[in-house]
Amino acid sequence: MRREVRFGVAAMPRRPLLSLAVWSVPEALPSALFGIAVARAVDRGFLAGRPLVGLAWLGTLVLAGIVGAAGSRQVYRRLGELVEPFRDELVRRVVGGALRHRIAGRAEDGAVARLTRQVEIVRDTYAGLIVVVRGFVVTVGGAVVGMLSVAPVLALLILPPFLLGVAGFLATLGVSAGRYGASVRADERLSATAGAALAGTRDVAARGAEEHVAALVAGPIADQAAAERALARVAVLRGLCFAVGGWLPLVVLLGAGPWLIGRGLTAGVIMGGLTYVLFGLQPALGTLISGLGGSGLRYVVTLGRILDATTPPAVSPPRTAVVTGYDLELSGVTFAYGPHAEPVLRDLDLAVPVGDHLAIVGSSGIGKSTLAGLLCGLLRPDAGTVALGGAPVADLPPDWLATARVLIPQEAYVFGGTVRDNLTYLRPDATDAEVTGAVAAVGAEPLLARLGGYSAELAPAELSGGERQVVALVRAYLSPAPVVVLDEATSNLDPTAERRAEEAFAARGGTLIVIAHRLSSALRARRVLVLDGTTATLGDHSTLLATSSLYRQLFGAWDGTDLGPSRNVGTAFPERARATADPRSAPETPRIRETG
Amino acid sequence: MTTFRALARQGGGWLPLLGVADLAGTLGTLALPVVLGHVIDSLVSGASDRHWLAVAGALIAVAVLADLVGAFAAPVCIARTTSWLRTRLVRHVFAIGPEAARRFDTGDLVSRVSGNAVDAAQAGPGLVGAVTAVLPPLGSLVLLAYLDVWLAVAFLGGLALVACVLTAFARRTTAVMTAYQQIQGRIAARLAESLAGARTIAAAGTVEREERRVLEPLPGLRDEGGRMWQVLSRSSAQAAAVGPLALVAVLAAGGMELLAGRISAGELFAAGQYAVIGAGLGGLTGVFGQLARARAAAHRAEEVLGIAPVAYGPQGLPPGPGQLVFLHVTARAEGTTLLDRVDLALPGGAAVAVVGRSGAGKSVLAALAARLREPDEGQVVLDGVPLDRLTHAELRDAVGCAFERPVLVGETVADAVGLGLPADRVRAAARATCAHDFVSRLPEGYDTLLADAPMSGGEAQRLGLARAWHAGRLLVLDDATSSLDMVTELQVGRALTADRGRRTRLIVTHRAATAARADLVVWLDAGRVLGVGPHDQLWTAPAYREVFG
Repeated sequence: MRREVRFGVAAMPRRPLLSLAVWSVPEALPSALFGIAVARAVDRGFLAGRPLVGLAWLGTLVLAGIVGAAGSRQVYRRLGELVEPFRDELVRRVVGGALRHRIAGRAEDGAVARLTRQVEIVRDTYAGLIVVVRGFVVTVGGAVVGMLSVAPVLALLILPPFLLGVAGFLATLGVSAGRYGASVRADERLSATAGAALAGTRDVAARGAEEHVAALVAGPIADQAAAERALARVAVLRGLCFAVGGWLPLVVLLGAGPWLIGRGLTAGVIMGGLTYVLFGLQPALGTLISGLGGSGLRYVVTLGRILDATTPPAVSPPRTAVVTGYDLELSGVTFAYGPHAEPVLRDLDLAVPVGDHLAIVGSSGIGKSTLAGLLCGLLRPDAGTVALGGAPVADLPPDWLATARVLIPQEAYVFGGTVRDNLTYLRPDATDAEVTGAVAAVGAEPLLARLGGYSAELAPAELSGGERQVVALVRAYLSPAPVVVLDEATSNLDPTAERRAEEAFAARGGTLIVIAHRLSSALRARRVLVLDGTTATLGDHSTLLATSSLYRQLFGAWDGTDLGPSRNVGTAFPERARATADPRSAPETPRIRETG
Repeated sequence: MTTFRALARQGGGWLPLLGVADLAGTLGTLALPVVLGHVIDSLVSGASDRHWLAVAGALIAVAVLADLVGAFAAPVCIARTTSWLRTRLVRHVFAIGPEAARRFDTGDLVSRVSGNAVDAAQAGPGLVGAVTAVLPPLGSLVLLAYLDVWLAVAFLGGLALVACVLTAFARRTTAVMTAYQQIQGRIAARLAESLAGARTIAAAGTVEREERRVLEPLPGLRDEGGRMWQVLSRSSAQAAAVGPLALVAVLAAGGMELLAGRISAGELFAAGQYAVIGAGLGGLTGVFGQLARARAAAHRAEEVLGIAPVAYGPQGLPPGPGQLVFLHVTARAEGTTLLDRVDLALPGGAAVAVVGRSGAGKSVLAALAARLREPDEGQVVLDGVPLDRLTHAELRDAVGCAFERPVLVGETVADAVGLGLPADRVRAAARATCAHDFVSRLPEGYDTLLADAPMSGGEAQRLGLARAWHAGRLLVLDDATSSLDMVTELQVGRALTADRGRRTRLIVTHRAATAARADLVVWLDAGRVLGVGPHDQLWTAPAYREVFG
């Protein structure tokens, strides 16, 4: 709870805060004046037989209300100046955190809900908290000033029990926040569990597991009810604090009544005292309790979740490394997704010299994309090294890496912006001729025409999976990087379009690594790496037919229908990239070790 | 029966307790001002009689006690009722079977179980609350009129003014709110785009650029937000200006009556109090709103609970090979006939492919074979026993079904496959369906939480297949291997073929290769069987070849 409160206080800009405090003074006028006005109106006006005096005192209440209204107006303006920057800060945090976590491999499914719902909850409750706390301070301050001016002895009688109640309530807040958080989590777990179970009614019925799954949901249902009961117990504690702070002052004042009258205080003064308690302090305490106990807890819990979810992941600073050329070399690479998981790759050696064209084949889930991530420096091996130009690839600075290798994943990235912005994403300074050349090479002219040219705005939702992949392919083709990794980047294209794209990349120069979606990709490659879970086998097509039983089986079962017609593609490799590529011939002996 | 009353009954003893406490508290609140007035008057008159003081103390004690009891009883009563209703709803959705459950969206069902159940559980406390919320303002008005009729008139006049101001507020906020949410939606859409392209962004090292792009509309959000605060500041200023009017009006009228000697000083004080309590009239809409919500939510629960559950028979299966017979089976949905008087006798232990264009009725046939829906006419018979005569346990042990898009249910991957089966059977099934390799590569292997194991379509299909693998007599595969890659399809196909003789397999497929591997092919078109026979034999018909495009 402390972290959230500190965060909220630290976010307040000083000037609006100060002016909020200043404008609160006129707003306090009605509550300060209330008891006095009632006391004087009765004593000096109506009871003294002077109705005009009485009415005049009541009239001051209306005046005070108008002055207070002017204050109130300014207060809410200042409130906006406090709350809006706070919301901006949260939005920035949520966006930055979500992007960085997602890139580090976390799922981030809740990021959009965090942005639209949680941020708004925090914004509203933050404003609510400021209103409640400020209102409490203003009302209590006004009432104290009022009591002191009516009769100081009133303050002596009323304030001690009142403050005791307030202190008691504040002391319960920590427990409340904990229990409220638990109830929110229980609620979410229930929704998630019930959602998963109810989405699977067909599957559960098919398996006859109705009882088993109902029992699975029963757990969260019971937990949620228990969390609500725990909250109810805190509510009782809060009720006690209200009794002490809100009712005890009244009892004390009434009990002391005869003594006060004996000391010469008037009926009006006692009525004034009662007025301050019943009209001022008691409702103020009630509002404070329901405000802090309601929106205050929502604020703490929701902000806590935002802060937990958006703390940026630790990024190790890139180390300086000397890079010579663009040869990729894996030696002894082992990688697993967790300490209890079977390694996806075990002790893998692989050299991919500049100019090579390698296809990687294997069943889904066997580690092909993992290998792509390792080659591109997005993942770090648990053991062994992945080197680009002789330096560990994961240590190289990201912006330099982006000019050295390009990865196009299966799920192509397209964003709302112009077509040109999307195409030149990896090379913003590309000339029109270069862009046109890339579009022609990959075969994207029909798509470009459909989208309405380079300056048309692109709506990602209106593109099919294949069209998105074409955009990504042009982008990769344009990139200055000499090493290209296509991770099933053509999976949604038809075989003919896939062939054209792959041949364009092969003719582009530099290194091409294709994670194969179709077997035809393997036929086009110079060398093929076959992953089958326990072994990795490297060779060209004819060698593999002899050495890999899996490869043999695959081609045995394959009918060749996905092999598009052959086609010649002109080379349109960007000048800059060609200069750095320096293709050399591949070493003949692949170093692959059998494992497990 | 989930009427309002049934829900109210679920609160047990808590609801009456809540009612008594709330009523006592309300009456105490109403009585207190009059009593305080008497205390003041007796203090002023110097009477040594402490009678009213004691009454005031007792009333305060009652108010506090009622408050404490209510603070505990209401949430506990709601929690009890909620958990009862939720459990019933979940069990009932499973009991009515997938075909009846399909008329509800999953999201809709979840909202009935999570949010609506809480609303419906407010039925009892809401009713109590409505009664005790009406009492104070109405009682105050009556008591004001009882003290002096002019007090009531002054009060109502003041209140009318306040009401005018507050209604004007709600209208102005909506327009500003819409503009605000539009900008927020733009930022959210951009963020979703970037998150979907995370791998590209990671490789390109363009996080900062993406961050700027997503946040570009943010200044607009602040402008709209500022406008919301302006509307709010005007309204709150108006409320602050007119807020005290009702009270001042009552005090002024009371003062004049005091002057005229018609009321005492204590009664004037009481009048002021009643003016404040009476202002609670505006809060009544909230209470009745809650009651209306509870009623609507109870109705939504009733919509689910009113559907009759699927009935099972008393019989077991005699020993047999898994012979599956469709006798004159017709299935309809919303007026269209999905299957039209289908007669089929499929030999036990055979691999039977079901082919046909999309919409031919293949999945309906599969669902009927697995008793995931009921025939509208005719019977489905397994080894001589109609499926609806079998007990639940016997049916589900004998028949398994895997789907094109399996929904995995359970906490861990092992649980999703086994749904209660022991670990060794889970592993055996996973090995048989080629799921073991990728499951053991997950961060925690079989114990990986389902939520932490994002899966491709092919991986989910393999787990779905493993889940159905236990079936003793009949395994129904409804396009259940369509997303497998070449390598895995080959291996799974082999496992299915190796199964020969042990159980009947009904395989809905789009692939010619799968049909060719089967012993028998059922060719469906527009809900009718066009042919039954080996693939090679059917292949001679051009219309059959067209099915595979």
